[in-house]
Amino acid sequence: MIPLENFLILSGILFAIGLFGVMARRSAILILMSVELMLAAVSINFVAFATYLDGDAFNGMVFALFVITVAAAEVGLALGIVLRLFRERRTAYVDAADTLKW
Amino acid sequence: MGMEQVWILPAIPVAVFVVLSLFNAFIPRRGDFLAVLGMLAVVILVGFVLADFQSDFRDHVFAPQFGSNEYSFEWLNIGAGFFLIEFSTYVDAITMVMLPVVSFVALMVLIYSVGYMHGEQRYGWYFAALSFFVAAMLLLVISGNLLQLYLAWEGVGLASYLLIGFYWERQSAAEAAKKAFITTRIGDVGLLIGIILLWRVTGTFDIQQIIHAAESGMFSQTYLTVSMLFLFAGAVGKSAQFPLHVWLPDAMEGPTPVSALIHAATMVVAGVYLVARMLPVYEVVPIAQDVVLYTGLLTALMAATMGLVATDIKRVLAFSTISQLGFMFVALGVGAVTAAMFHLFTHAFFKSLLFLGSGSVIHATGQQEVSGLGGLRKKMPITATTFMIGSLALAGIPIFAGFFSKDEILHDLLEHGPLFAYVVLAATAILTAIYSTRLVLLTFFGKPKNQHAYDHAHESPPVMAVPLVLLAVLATVSGFFAVDDVGRLFGFVGGIGQLVFEGEHGHLFELDPLFAATATVMALVGLVVGWIYWHGDAKRAEQAQGWSPELHQLLVRRYYIDELYQGVIDNVILGAATVVAWFDKRVVNETGVDGGAQLIGFFGLRLKFLQTGRIPNYVLAMALGVLTLVLVAFGKA
Repeated sequence: MIPLENFLILSGILFAIGLFGVMARRSAILILMSVELMLAAVSINFVAFATYLDGDAFNGMVFALFVITVAAAEVGLALGIVLRLFRERRTAYVDAADTLKW
Repeated sequence: MGMEQVWILPAIPVAVFVVLSLFNAFIPRRGDFLAVLGMLAVVILVGFVLADFQSDFRDHVFAPQFGSNEYSFEWLNIGAGFFLIEFSTYVDAITMVMLPVVSFVALMVLIYSVGYMHGEQRYGWYFAALSFFVAAMLLLVISGNLLQLYLAWEGVGLASYLLIGFYWERQSAAEAAKKAFITTRIGDVGLLIGIILLWRVTGTFDIQQIIHAAESGMFSQTYLTVSMLFLFAGAVGKSAQFPLHVWLPDAMEGPTPVSALIHAATMVVAGVYLVARMLPVYEVVPIAQDVVLYTGLLTALMAATMGLVATDIKRVLAFSTISQLGFMFVALGVGAVTAAMFHLFTHAFFKSLLFLGSGSVIHATGQQEVSGLGGLRKKMPITATTFMIGSLALAGIPIFAGFFSKDEILHDLLEHGPLFAYVVLAATAILTAIYSTRLVLLTFFGKPKNQHAYDHAHESPPVMAVPLVLLAVLATVSGFFAVDDVGRLFGFVGGIGQLVFEGEHGHLFELDPLFAATATVMALVGLVVGWIYWHGDAKRAEQAQGWSPELHQLLVRRYYIDELYQGVIDNVILGAATVVAWFDKRVVNETGVDGGAQLIGFFGLRLKFLQTGRIPNYVLAMALGVLTLVLVAFGKA
């Protein structure tokens, strides 16, 4: 079997890429995609631990299932917000929403 | 109705006070008759208590400190007796001297006031306040524990303030009321400290228990001396002894009947009463007792000298009161409770008589200064006669009451005290005779100095004259209560000497002929000197004034003590107050309160730039936060 660390490193790299994407993207849709990427990374992490360490129990996989469900719901909600933003500002760029400042 | 129900006595005037203060506008005559009737009821009930006391007392003849804790009612009890506040009454011989004095003089004053205060503004409130005073005073004398006594003590102080400031529209009256209250307050703080000190060791406020504890050596000498000195401070304040005597002359701003009741017969003797009550404890700490003796002695002499030059009739009488109270404290200072209480008894009658008489004069002529009086004896015969009787009693002329009580004090002083104290007090007695003669001559004899006032002068109406006569009768005969046969006539086992005992050396009243003769001679000397200087147009007195204007000024300005106190207040107290005010303004207000707000503002002004409104910034912040938490968690692990 492949050592567990490989999966963890993969998960970590994916998470980092996702995090970078959230912080550095201007477009709201791309930010959402990056968030999804982070969630996927986390799921891989959970499943890897479940497979390698838990034995008979499969808590990690159950958790990954939950994550997928929540991700789906959350994206629906988030796209709603993005649509709203678009209607107000005629752009999906996130720096359009900057009036709540000092 | 007996000793057990003695709590009813203050309850009646309290009820009168409540009714009058709230409803006097709706009652005919503003309810003055309610006050009078209430007081009459109290006098009658005192008679019943007296009868009950007598019958019990007969079984305990010659028993020192016979008294009974007849009634008590628990008010607050913390820690099963650790801190117990109760309403308790204690009736003994001392109480039985105070009760008739307070109630009878109050009755006379109330009846007199109906005439004197006729037509005055706030007539109803006057009677309400007087009733409140009597209630507090009665409560004071029946108190079985120190806390209750303190409550009543403050009550009489409040009543005094209200009544001195009765004519508060007059600035001087308002100032005098403030002065009285603040000065006695200084003493009251001492009293409270003393009470607390006593409680700390004995765990109780009950007077008899404290006396017991002191006598059985529960206290260290130093501690007990200090406690009793603090207690005495309260007496000094309330009874206007040096150095807290300054309020009494000014208290004459109040209506004259008030001066008669409060500042002659009752409230000012509260200090004497307190020391008399606690005398067994004072006997355990001779140093404190000596302080009592010398304070009284000094005050008596000082006040007599000031009374010699005062020109306002009421002021002369005020100084006289301070002096006579000094006599009482001297008696207590040598352990002569009988003498002190006896003098209290007789003094109440003749002093209130003198005050009411002066009120008569003031009412008739509108003049208070002797410069506007003179020759009034023809126009106001009853007032003049009764006033003269009062003066003779004050001077200590035999058969009148003052002779017996003053003689008793001097006798006890000679027997138990230092010789020089006797000499000083005897000199003061002569001075007393001099200034009382002076007052009588300047007011009722000689040529009238203000013809207009003289023409308008008239005798007082019966409602004022009858109390004068009754008090004059008492001023004449009350001295004889000292004699055993008279006492037995009234159903007592003996004279007043049988009633109150002075520790181990209780003695029956003796009339030493040589001593009595000496005392009479002293009084007569005073009378003669007074006549020489002040009869007719008082030329000799004016000449005497010219001998030493500085001395005269010293006495008129009351030894400049008022100026001294004002100086202390202006410099020391207000100086300290300035420092405290600075601290409050700069440190507490500006640095603390304002400063705190300014600090928040300072940081807020700079931190607000974090709110950029740009979402990527916020995401970065979130990421950094999570990172920090993770590192901290790792650090801990």
